[in-house]
Amino acid sequence: MATTLPYRPSNDSLSASNNRQTSGLPRLSPAASFIGRSPSSSHGSYRRTSTENAASSFKPRRCKAQYPLDSPERHVEYILVASFHIDRGPIMEHQYPAAISGDESMLAELMLPDQTHVRSQDWTMFFLHKDTSGEDETNEAGGKKKKRKSKYIGNQEGAGLPDDDPGEASDDPDSSDDEGGEGPPLMYVLNLVNTKQDNTVRRGAVVKAMAICTRHSFLHIYKPLLLLALEDYFKSPYPETLATLYDAVNAMDLSLMPKMSILERHILQSSNTKDMFLEKFEQMIRQREEEEAQNGECPPSPKKMSRYALPRDTHEFESKVVYNDIPIPVKIPTVIWPETVGDFSLIKLIQTFAVPHATSPQAFPAHPHLTTSGPFTHPIIVLVNAILTQKRVVFLGHNRPSGEVAEAVLAACALASGGILRGFTRHAFPYTDLSKIDDLLQVPGFIAGVTNPTFANHPEWWDVLCDLPTGRIKISSHVEPAPVTEGLLFFQQQNSLLPPTTSTSSDPTGDTLFIEDILRSISQRHGENAVRAKWRAYITKFVRVAAAFEEAVYGASNLYIIGPGEELSPDSPTGHQSDASDPTSLRGHGYVWTDEGAKQRELSASVSRIEGWRNTRSYYSYIQDIAAMYYPARPIQRPDIHHHHDRLRALKLSHAEAASIYLALSHAVKDYAGICQLLTVAPENQAGLFYVSMGLFHPDQVVREATVDLLDRIAAHPAGRHFWTHVGRFAKLGYIRVKRERDAATQSPASPVPTSPGASFGGEPQSLVGVAMGDGMQRRS
Amino acid sequence: MGVQVSKMMGKIFGTKEMRILMLGLDAAGKTTILYKLKLSNQDVTTIPTVGFNVESVTYKNVKFNVWDVGGQDKIRPLWRHYYSGTQGLIFVVDSSDTARVEEARSELHKIINDREMKDALLLVFANKQDIPGHLTPEEITQQLQLTKLKDKLWYVAPSVATDGTGIFEGLAWLSNNVKTPAQK
Repeated sequence: MATTLPYRPSNDSLSASNNRQTSGLPRLSPAASFIGRSPSSSHGSYRRTSTENAASSFKPRRCKAQYPLDSPERHVEYILVASFHIDRGPIMEHQYPAAISGDESMLAELMLPDQTHVRSQDWTMFFLHKDTSGEDETNEAGGKKKKRKSKYIGNQEGAGLPDDDPGEASDDPDSSDDEGGEGPPLMYVLNLVNTKQDNTVRRGAVVKAMAICTRHSFLHIYKPLLLLALEDYFKSPYPETLATLYDAVNAMDLSLMPKMSILERHILQSSNTKDMFLEKFEQMIRQREEEEAQNGECPPSPKKMSRYALPRDTHEFESKVVYNDIPIPVKIPTVIWPETVGDFSLIKLIQTFAVPHATSPQAFPAHPHLTTSGPFTHPIIVLVNAILTQKRVVFLGHNRPSGEVAEAVLAACALASGGILRGFTRHAFPYTDLSKIDDLLQVPGFIAGVTNPTFANHPEWWDVLCDLPTGRIKISSHVEPAPVTEGLLFFQQQNSLLPPTTSTSSDPTGDTLFIEDILRSISQRHGENAVRAKWRAYITKFVRVAAAFEEAVYGASNLYIIGPGEELSPDSPTGHQSDASDPTSLRGHGYVWTDEGAKQRELSASVSRIEGWRNTRSYYSYIQDIAAMYYPARPIQRPDIHHHHDRLRALKLSHAEAASIYLALSHAVKDYAGICQLLTVAPENQAGLFYVSMGLFHPDQVVREATVDLLDRIAAHPAGRHFWTHVGRFAKLGYIRVKRERDAATQSPASPVPTSPGASFGGEPQSLVGVAMGDGMQRRS
Repeated sequence: MGVQVSKMMGKIFGTKEMRILMLGLDAAGKTTILYKLKLSNQDVTTIPTVGFNVESVTYKNVKFNVWDVGGQDKIRPLWRHYYSGTQGLIFVVDSSDTARVEEARSELHKIINDREMKDALLLVFANKQDIPGHLTPEEITQQLQLTKLKDKLWYVAPSVATDGTGIFEGLAWLSNNVKTPAQK
């Protein structure tokens, strides 16, 4: 029996090894579509093909579609219509193509949010867990303690048990290619409710709601369609109206949208370049045209322009839905991170709570997990801490449309996730009401949106209440106190031993600075994408600091997989080569602090929050993820590229230390996926390739030339070429100089004539720059 | 803290605050009463309440926070979530709907037997007194079996919500009988 639940109940399975998630993720290739043929393919071979289409040097593999035409999965699975019956309350009127099983009246209640009668239109969102019990049974052998109950929030998970629902992997778009036995992902429901005053009916009004149930997290694209279809339904309240909409949305063609690997998605999202990975889209079109030519559908006519247009911005894929002969354009985000559902705005959420705090800050009652920077901790930090440490969070928007509280909930999930942690949306109730309270309270650490102010009168129902109209966050008087943990005691001892550091910074966690930076980004209109990228960096840092914390306290961390040849001990000297003949055996891993004192200060300031996070669902999910994503996300296992790139950025290194890093990078970063990995640790908004390019000015010629080789490979890389064009002129000149030196060295014995040193410095460099940038230029044309 | 200050101010200047919960079967007239209290001189037309309405009404130095909760039988189980902190219950009865007075009685007794409602005042509006064939307030008292109630302050006020007749009299009874200061 399939069951519908308005949230995705987590499973109790502790064993990750045999669920579908882990079976799905490792299959990801680091380069989903065009991995280089061999890791050692030299830059020379790139160079030879550089005049051809960019993808050609990288295209041995077919580019897969994210949503293939022949996929059995439908964009939209159900269309529902509910109405408020004046005698009976909310009822379900129609369901198409079939009845969505489960508690129908509960669904109808969710579709008719509180106070619908005071506004003519309201949007809302909620999540369903559609169970298929057959699959449940096959999975049961996999260590599940009990079958998912088929009742709404019927399953009471043990507090603190990790959330490793097999279906959860499907949160991650990555796993969407593993249909086969893939468990049901969340079903997202977008709902529109209209109230029409009508004097001809009893009690003067008709309230009807129409909902779209989809597995796609970009459900907001269906908004214009729901508006049209619900209007039609008021005119003709028959299942045919639902069928028309159903057929229209499922006819939407997304098959030309390429599938990206995790590293590619990371690069694309943190980049503002509008034609990043355009090659993939070109390749999709080419493949389609070849197929069509084979099938004889459309004979290739060289003079005819392609029927398919390239995207103007590769961050979104444009398509259309034809509803009742009206073509409605839709834009689908190319990169969808886990925990990113709908079209919320982090900026809006942050400003809602930052502005009242800026004008008149209010002191919070102290709670070690939440008020990590004292009573005047920024409310947004309190919110993120609350979600990270799995508190019960309620967003209350009295007299606000339910769509607004739903957006706040989804934004909060994305805030705490950063696209890295997960398990939040699965326990989120973007919109819920009193009728679900008993079930809601069974869920540990939920994030819920409500409009009913009676929630404010029940502090026993929540730990943190975020009031949207006033922009104030409240910590409940009923919140559970933080337990004393091993890590806490460890740092208390440490701190008593250390001399009382007259800490000049009153901001040991760095959160105050971080929030200031975010607010500056917002006020300077850097845009939603920039703010999301910063939160991603913040959560990345949180996780890395937590890994360093675990190593310090417990001697090893669950959050980091030690690379081959790496020492586990935290005292292991970083920057040494374990094997003198192998530059990539450079040691060191994890987060980089400028000195030991800074590390101690930050760790001891973060103890409570990190300890509060350990034991949560998102902590356990993350441990599974790094195991599953180890190869896809980290094709270069040694050295720890992120660590050593951070050292270049954060530390004052000696020439010898820097040399070993540059040589290690140059030796390790060879193939397509490896370059992708390097690019993810050097995002454009954090100086891009600047620190790598500084190797061009190293006193040792070997290092300079190794850097040139590395940069050559990067410049020939489909994503790397964009990074190379952003490298400053100074570094480019350095590049040219090293090139010339090398050319001079190799050529001078044979034929000193063509490039006599010092000759025509004016003309030559340009052509060399042309060489360096040539791939990019020619490809673009 | 702000609440504390305003309560102190309330004591000094003699204003009281009172949390009122208004319940009753569907179509009894709850929302009409609420908005007639709020907007005394205007005509009020209402549509069925999805969920709830809440408004503040100040009358004779008492600030009434009145919660009006939808009455369809399916959503009546939600009423209990509004009980805690309620000082006065307004129960609205459609006096012309003789067929459902028994249903109203049953619901009313369920509410006032709840532990969280034991201290709440009970005001019954015998509403729709303008419709022919209505029950009188005495008949309503009898049919709701109010005389059986022990340790309960109650009062039945006849009303015509659509023109405002009787509703402020009911409110006056509440404000005269509230003794405990507003609880949190």
